[in-house]
Amino acid sequence: MSLFGIAWRNIRQRLLTSGLTALSLALGVALVVSTLVIGDIVKQAFNSGSGLGYNIIVGAKGSPLQLVLNSVYLISKPIENISWAFYEEFLPATARADGAAGRYAGSVQTAVPICMGDYFRGFRVVGTNAAYFDSLTWGGGGTPAGLGRWLRRSVGLADARSELRPFAFASGRNFRDDEFFGGVLGCDVAAKLGLKAGDPFAPTHGADDGLVHDPFTVTGILARTDTPVDRGVYVNMEGFYLQEGHAKPVEGEGVAVKPTAEEDHPASPAPLPTNQREVTAILVETAALPGLPAELTAMGLRTAINEGRDGQAAEPIREISLLLGLFVRPLELLLLLVTTLVVIVSAIGILVSMVGSSLERSRDVAVMRALGARRSHVLATVLIEAVLLAVGGGLVGWALGHMLVAAIGPLITTNAGVSASLLSAAPAAELLLVPFLIALAILAALLPALAAYRTDVAKWLG
Amino acid sequence: MPTPVIELEQVKKSFAMPGGETVAVLDIDAFTVAEREQCALTGQSGSGKSTLLHVISGIMRPDAGRVVVDGHDLTRLGEAATDRLRADTLGLVFQQFNLLPGFTALENVLVAMSFGSGRPDRWRAADLLASVGLSHRLHHKPGELSIGQQQRVAVARALANRPRVILADEPTASIDTAHQDQVIELLKNTCAEQDVALLVVTHSPEVAARFPRRLRLEDFNRAATHHG
Repeated sequence: MSLFGIAWRNIRQRLLTSGLTALSLALGVALVVSTLVIGDIVKQAFNSGSGLGYNIIVGAKGSPLQLVLNSVYLISKPIENISWAFYEEFLPATARADGAAGRYAGSVQTAVPICMGDYFRGFRVVGTNAAYFDSLTWGGGGTPAGLGRWLRRSVGLADARSELRPFAFASGRNFRDDEFFGGVLGCDVAAKLGLKAGDPFAPTHGADDGLVHDPFTVTGILARTDTPVDRGVYVNMEGFYLQEGHAKPVEGEGVAVKPTAEEDHPASPAPLPTNQREVTAILVETAALPGLPAELTAMGLRTAINEGRDGQAAEPIREISLLLGLFVRPLELLLLLVTTLVVIVSAIGILVSMVGSSLERSRDVAVMRALGARRSHVLATVLIEAVLLAVGGGLVGWALGHMLVAAIGPLITTNAGVSASLLSAAPAAELLLVPFLIALAILAALLPALAAYRTDVAKWLG
Repeated sequence: MPTPVIELEQVKKSFAMPGGETVAVLDIDAFTVAEREQCALTGQSGSGKSTLLHVISGIMRPDAGRVVVDGHDLTRLGEAATDRLRADTLGLVFQQFNLLPGFTALENVLVAMSFGSGRPDRWRAADLLASVGLSHRLHHKPGELSIGQQQRVAVARALANRPRVILADEPTASIDTAHQDQVIELLKNTCAEQDVALLVVTHSPEVAARFPRRLRLEDFNRAATHHG
């Protein structure tokens, strides 16, 4: 029988004490694991916004963080709208009615407008054009943690840029710009509401209980991206503009006649005149100018916009990094500290349990020594016993932690817009947890192990 | 002249008392047990019987003298080597049996094997238990066995590593008279079958009378004489 087998028998002999010790350790580990994983999910959820293919968001003057949270993460409230004329400053000559390139067009690769303010059964509705899904990309900023992704990045098989990819559709297709009442649903929206391509849906104005707008038709359901896009409802902005309350009142002009999806030519009704239009934000991918680093182009464009009076330019990465640095990381550290203390208390439980059973153990140790066991044997047996308890409790706690994350996954998905499942992981930290636990267990068991080492055999044999 | 398997020469052992006084427990000029010999050692309570067994088994070091077991002078061996020699050469049977309560009968024998030089052998462990009539109790823990059965497990465990000698400390003290004969016969027969010497310490003249060689500790331990 190996020392491992002897240690295992010792644990079974004191099953209740050992079980309770392992359970307390498991609960501590479950707390640490769930904190680590959820912390990682939150961080990566925010980071996922930095890989959506645009590096600048232009919106009304105000809080840049609010602009980013609203435009990228579909949370918080929009600041204000910016004028259509300002949006056109980002467009090339070919996309403008006057045939002249916009003021910022030279620095812009793609500029996608978004209009917000409507809801559909709890989800944000985003009015935009087909370029959103045709030109933008996703996946470069950090989708939620997972072992596969971590491994790929760890061994250098993937980096942020190589993971950028175009949007794909699980079913259907993107809406065309001339399909005024076409819409695309993020996968979470479709799954939660049970909608599929071809189904009609009618957004509401301003809130879920607001005025019900005309119905749009789902042209496609996006494949999962694990970004905030998954919980967005994207409609053709031309149809969006034609809804009640969406046209900017212009003195001396009435609102355009409102066509609906039920009309004879639903895909091409008369668009809203540009002087009645506004956009909430513009998602801008800056151009790579010859001989100029992309970062410099972005910085120049941001400075130029921020110095003007029409709006502000915010960098999602910068804003999110500020947010993480100011709030998320300190909070995460605090939680980690508390949960680590819980694990340390549990490790002290191992010590207490082992010291508590040392009387019983002394007799057994004396018998084993009389049978020829070396001092090193009994020392190792006690340490192995502690490591087994730590590893057993740790594994159970690890599984419990992941089950906890999976249990509150729907809540995370609803609030953070990313999926959290049994397989969500914070691999680097979780892998560190194992040696940490083993070291802690050995430390805790050192005292009873040394007591076993020094057992007076003659005294205990009587 | 048979080869001695245990030899003690000029062995002295004393203990310091809490008050600072030193009490001599062993003072033995010579003591031997030959191979395959079966010997009973009697003595009054406190005469140093258990101390003598602890010194012979290397659990305790003498203050002076030589303790030679199977040709090895324990007083010249380090602790680890003494432990190894004890595991390989000596089988111990205790008064309280001292079986490990969390382990089955089979595992109690296997544990003893795991400290010896050989590899733990489940078949041999099962055979040993069968030889003491416990083939149907291999997977029972000590708490599930009768006193007599526990003592049998203790005998099987003492034989685990094919020892040269078995030291039994009051093996019948905890069992009734009816079972005493069975245990003594078991020890004697098993040791005879396996060519193992047997030294039984007992306070019972009836038990001692069953052995061909009988010794009184007081007869050769000067400390016991002074003490007792």
